[in-house]
Amino acid sequence: MSQPGFTVDVDHNQFLPDGGRDVSAIATVTSEGAPTAVEPATGGGSAEIIIVDCSGSMDVPHSKIAQARAATVAAIDVVRDGVWFAVIAGTSFAKPVYPPNGTMALAGPQTRAEARQAVNGLRAGGGTAIGKWLQLARQTFGTSPATLRHAILLTDGRNQHETPEELSTAISACDGYFSCDCRGVGTDWEVSELRRISSTLLGSVDIIRDPAGLAADFEAMMRNAMSKQVADVSLRVWTPQQAEVRFVKQVAPTVEDLSARRATVSAQVGDYPTGSWGPAESRDYHVGIRVQPGFVGQEMLAARVSLVVSSAAGSQVLGQGLVRAVWTDDEALSTKINSRVAHYTGQAELAEAIQEGLEARKQGDEETATARLGRAVALAKESGNGDTAKLLAKVVDVIDEATGTVRLKKKVDDGDEMELDTRSTKTVRVRKEHA
Amino acid sequence: MSAAYSEGDAAGGEDVRHAGEVAPAGNALPMGDAPPMGDAVPVGSAVPMGDAVSLDDAVTRDDHLLARDSADRVPRDPGGQVDGRSTEDVECPACRSPVGVWDQFCEACGHELTPPVVSAGTPGAVTECPVCTADPDAPQGGITADGYCEVCGHKVPSDRDHVEVDLGLLAGVSDRGQRHSRNEDAMALATSRSPEGRPLALAVVCDGVSTSPRPDEASLAAARAAVRVLLTGARIGDEPEDTSLDAVRAAFATLEGVAGPDGAPACTYASAVVGPDCVTVCWLGDSRVYWLAAAPDASEPPVDSTDTTRPVTGSPAWPVSRCLTRDDSLAAELVDTGLMSEEEAMESPQAHVITQWLGADFPEPRPHVAKFQPPGPGAILVCTDGLWNYRPDPAELATLALPAGLTTPLDAVTALVKIANDAGGRDNITAVLVPYRPSTP
Repeated sequence: MSQPGFTVDVDHNQFLPDGGRDVSAIATVTSEGAPTAVEPATGGGSAEIIIVDCSGSMDVPHSKIAQARAATVAAIDVVRDGVWFAVIAGTSFAKPVYPPNGTMALAGPQTRAEARQAVNGLRAGGGTAIGKWLQLARQTFGTSPATLRHAILLTDGRNQHETPEELSTAISACDGYFSCDCRGVGTDWEVSELRRISSTLLGSVDIIRDPAGLAADFEAMMRNAMSKQVADVSLRVWTPQQAEVRFVKQVAPTVEDLSARRATVSAQVGDYPTGSWGPAESRDYHVGIRVQPGFVGQEMLAARVSLVVSSAAGSQVLGQGLVRAVWTDDEALSTKINSRVAHYTGQAELAEAIQEGLEARKQGDEETATARLGRAVALAKESGNGDTAKLLAKVVDVIDEATGTVRLKKKVDDGDEMELDTRSTKTVRVRKEHA
Repeated sequence: MSAAYSEGDAAGGEDVRHAGEVAPAGNALPMGDAPPMGDAVPVGSAVPMGDAVSLDDAVTRDDHLLARDSADRVPRDPGGQVDGRSTEDVECPACRSPVGVWDQFCEACGHELTPPVVSAGTPGAVTECPVCTADPDAPQGGITADGYCEVCGHKVPSDRDHVEVDLGLLAGVSDRGQRHSRNEDAMALATSRSPEGRPLALAVVCDGVSTSPRPDEASLAAARAAVRVLLTGARIGDEPEDTSLDAVRAAFATLEGVAGPDGAPACTYASAVVGPDCVTVCWLGDSRVYWLAAAPDASEPPVDSTDTTRPVTGSPAWPVSRCLTRDDSLAAELVDTGLMSEEEAMESPQAHVITQWLGADFPEPRPHVAKFQPPGPGAILVCTDGLWNYRPDPAELATLALPAGLTTPLDAVTALVKIANDAGGRDNITAVLVPYRPSTP
């Protein structure tokens, strides 16, 4: 299968005033190809692991474990023939469910049938130590030659039988090894715990309030995973010698700050992980560079953004977008704000405002909570983020949307609050308008 | 500011021929003359045209010059260089067969002997970063394909930053100026002979719109496409008005082609086809074409048209320099409506807002085309606003460029560009001078 190509389209206001230093750009990265269903992955193939929480609470109500079983089976049915897969049960230990010996099976009618049987034998009972589940997944992935590795992790509760450090260690061990989409069923789990996993392991996090919704969601996640064709894609950013990369954030479809994940390639080049890509996928990144101050009449290349695909054969650099800085004395040019940069700056601030506001509310700091969630309401309105506005309206009473004047609701449904939290990073996409 | 080129002023006796309304070709591009013909010059903004030239005198003078020139087939430069080639038999640079000095193509191998010259830079011309070279601590690094230093990121200078073209019959200079990081102006020059053997000088000048993406690409692509059409049309003897419209159409089509996900590169457009007896001008935007009149005795400097101390004698009257184009700009519109004087308009923030440009985002451009029959010797100046912003007045331009420009046009445009740079060089500066009339090849 051929390597998909990437195009990088940079949108920014290149003009800086005399002495200006900060350049901000939106890079839209699009993978080529048509969204086909049946292309197998490059390299050694794909591998999928489904990790199911089997702690005692999954029986309360019983529908949780029952629906989890059904959802796992639904996901297995979507796994394409020839893809490696496995199922793990998680309690305060992790146990391979299928194949029972801790290896992986090649998907086919026989193995799927066997897996179904094994999954139907899952019972709830025990504690929760998610780090152990991740470690077993890593080990299990290691038994297959697959290079495109993805896991689905389901929990219903807090990570009670482990220290935060143990979880962190496990996450670090898995960083860059496999991607993981996390789901919390019900409202007794901790959003920030799962977000730490999904963020580092380049996956998504979401709440499934009603266990009946698990099957559809698992199926969707698995279909999405099947569409991926290339793993370990990095965003490579070159900057001139005396420039500083202030931040690199993914801003669409969700906000994810990649700045701290920089892998240094050389003094002027850093790679930021973006995980796996399928064909015809598009994501937006916001890049901020600080360059040496220039004077009118100068022009500089502030950054070069490209994609790097690592494979057994080595790395390939694909696509390129240039971020220019041009110093001008024309104020009409240098004071213009690029609308997409402004929009995504607002979206990133929106996500932050929500998370800070919810955290403050949990801590009992009502003043901060009101201020931040109010700011979030105003930003959501400004950016046309109707979905987030609706979620906010379940946590605060909106007095004036435009100014962000709100009042915290006295009683907030846990599910509503967690839904707002998990979906805080979903952004509204803004396409480039042709002048 | 310049004398606005006013239509419908025939009563003043100016020997000006207008193109009639050019009917749209039936395609999506209306290419008529805008504004409508016959608009009276608004009261309050009329610019004195100087003393009227009687039509008869002008014709007489033209005939006289025509007669003189057709008999005199010696090239302009007595040193024997025309178009940079000597008047002796020359060799085709491609196949070395002998070719006539005025031939356009080599009959032996088909090589084009008088191709158009465009102010493009050569990629890779600069191999060292001047910023890093000046810094003793800077490490060595390469230059990227698009001309940036791999170490410090600065754009290295381009040889497009200052381009001089001298084709004998006309000459031009395009310069980056002092405040822009790139030269987004472009010019294209060519010479030709009509099928009857009459000499023709062709000039196109384009100014990239800074707020559009890749404006330097726009101006170069437009100028290059247009001059090619002008040259072909000249060689086959087409009507210069038709060729001029075809040329600007071709430029527009090229810009439609270079539009991309980053938007529509855009530029202004001004062209001049200068033949032995008339000048055809075509423009869109705020690049201009001026007529610079020389004194009847070419060794004397031209007369200031506002000088009222000169007595009006019989004939010949004193020649008058003028701007042949009218900017497609908000400032020009404000002046036309009488709301502002020209000085006020040029100071206002609307001064450089253009109302027409060539680019894929302006799908129905209406270029203007007009013919002008010069009443005497002088020169045609095609230039971008980087020059006329500093020296808008046609009479002043004439004193600066003539009489030297009549024989050494390159020196004259070089001087004009220097004046603009010395005055601040806030924009790219491009000027092409065509002494009138081109010497017969």
